[in-house]
Amino acid sequence: MNDVVIPSRNHTGSVHAAGVSIKDLRKSYGSNEVLKGISLDVAPGEVVCLIGPSGSGKSTLLRCVNLLEQPNEGTIHVGGFEATDLDVDIDKMRRKVGMVFQQFNLFPHLNALGNCSIAQTKVLKRSQAEANKVAQANLERVGLGHLADRFPDQLSGGQQQRVAIARALSMDPELMLFDEPTSALDPETVGDVLSVMRNLAKEGMTMLVVTHEMGFAREVADRVVFMDGGVVVEEGVAERVISSPTQGRTKEFLKRVLDPTHIEISE
Amino acid sequence: MAMTARQRAKVSLYIQAGIFFVAMAALILATDWKTVGNSVFNFGKIGPMFPGIIVIGLKNTLIYTALAFVVGLSGGLLLALMKLSTFPLYRWIATGYIEFFRGVPALLVFIAFGYGVPLAFGVSWDVNVVVMVSLGMVASAYIAETLRAGLQAVPKGQMEAARSLGMPMWRAMVTIVIPQAFRIVLPPLTNEVILLTKDSSLIYVLGLTTAQYELTKFGRDGISSLGAGLTPLLVAGAFYLVITIPLSLLARKFESRSARTKR
Repeated sequence: MNDVVIPSRNHTGSVHAAGVSIKDLRKSYGSNEVLKGISLDVAPGEVVCLIGPSGSGKSTLLRCVNLLEQPNEGTIHVGGFEATDLDVDIDKMRRKVGMVFQQFNLFPHLNALGNCSIAQTKVLKRSQAEANKVAQANLERVGLGHLADRFPDQLSGGQQQRVAIARALSMDPELMLFDEPTSALDPETVGDVLSVMRNLAKEGMTMLVVTHEMGFAREVADRVVFMDGGVVVEEGVAERVISSPTQGRTKEFLKRVLDPTHIEISE
Repeated sequence: MAMTARQRAKVSLYIQAGIFFVAMAALILATDWKTVGNSVFNFGKIGPMFPGIIVIGLKNTLIYTALAFVVGLSGGLLLALMKLSTFPLYRWIATGYIEFFRGVPALLVFIAFGYGVPLAFGVSWDVNVVVMVSLGMVASAYIAETLRAGLQAVPKGQMEAARSLGMPMWRAMVTIVIPQAFRIVLPPLTNEVILLTKDSSLIYVLGLTTAQYELTKFGRDGISSLGAGLTPLLVAGAFYLVITIPLSLLARKFESRSARTKR
């Protein structure tokens, strides 16, 4: 399992990628089992989109990968780390794993540059000058170099989300997790965020993306995983799963998502 | 005779103002101004209070308040974090402490730490130490509840984002959560400082030397020595406002500034 990672520092441009390997993962909240034995591999440099109806467990699965949720059973390997090992250095592991949230979660008391530099100085112990340089470079990378001194409340939703991506990238992650990154956005700003993610994929970043954007999944993802009711129902090459799903539940879901005006009337 | 809603509201306002002024006039007419003038507004005789009330009274009130606030803020932060801890023992200790020190009168705490503890352990405490311990411990209890509410008002996503960047729990608290919580609690915290300023007068139970007098004690001393009735107390009261009103203004300024740069 340790064949997937060669950590290396590389501020911008080409990235070093780590893989993910999830085996028989289970997670319950009380008596409610949300993940019922999930196995999933993401190769280094691969882009995998998790799709499925709300409540299917896809966000929980994503949050288990960087241990924002503690799984009950099963194993997760991320790069050279076993996340499910109780002795794992959780903070060290998380430095390698960038996380982008649905609600952005930018730090409101810091400007865009500060958001991107704070963890570099406090966690990676970079000098303020170096951290600012890296932060500025990553803000340029997401097309917001000119807004470095803006505070989050002075940015649009799409801009905030791109700052959040730049913040994650400033830590030189080898894997990026996206938890419905465009779901809270105004429709006209979704495109900017998706295009940043598309470029990231082109650069070879390993990405695990929970999304409802089927167009993005079809175009950018190497593989699509359809989850429903806490299990993986169907997975495969993105184009194949979205265009010609084999499972009934997948067909049903895609029909609803791709044609929102379609109303299913049960007898 | 039909009035619009706006006219009715206007008439109602006039009536309220009328009642207020009539009541004021009645009070003013009923007052025995000669006695009041001699015993409360007798400003001719208070000259000897100056400059002592400033260089001793005001100074000591500020010192006592500052000492208590420093202890209260650090103790309060510690207690707030304990109360939010996942470790039950910490929560129990913090809850017990807060309930106790919020529940007993500050005056009793002063007596306990000013006389009881020094007697029990055979030590003699400087008045500054007594203020720090007694008023500081009472302040901790109140401030802890304020800070706890502030910490809980910071969205959970902030902690998650900070942890996701590899920050350990304490680092995320110090760098991300606490700075945001402080902005939220600034108005109620100002309130605590104002309460402390006034509670610092309770130190009188210790029997102070002249150099240790704070504003209220200075005023009480003036009552017996100046023959100006209660006028010295009125002067002391005015000096409390000299402290608390600028404090309120300062807090309001901070508040509007932080509202502008964020959120």
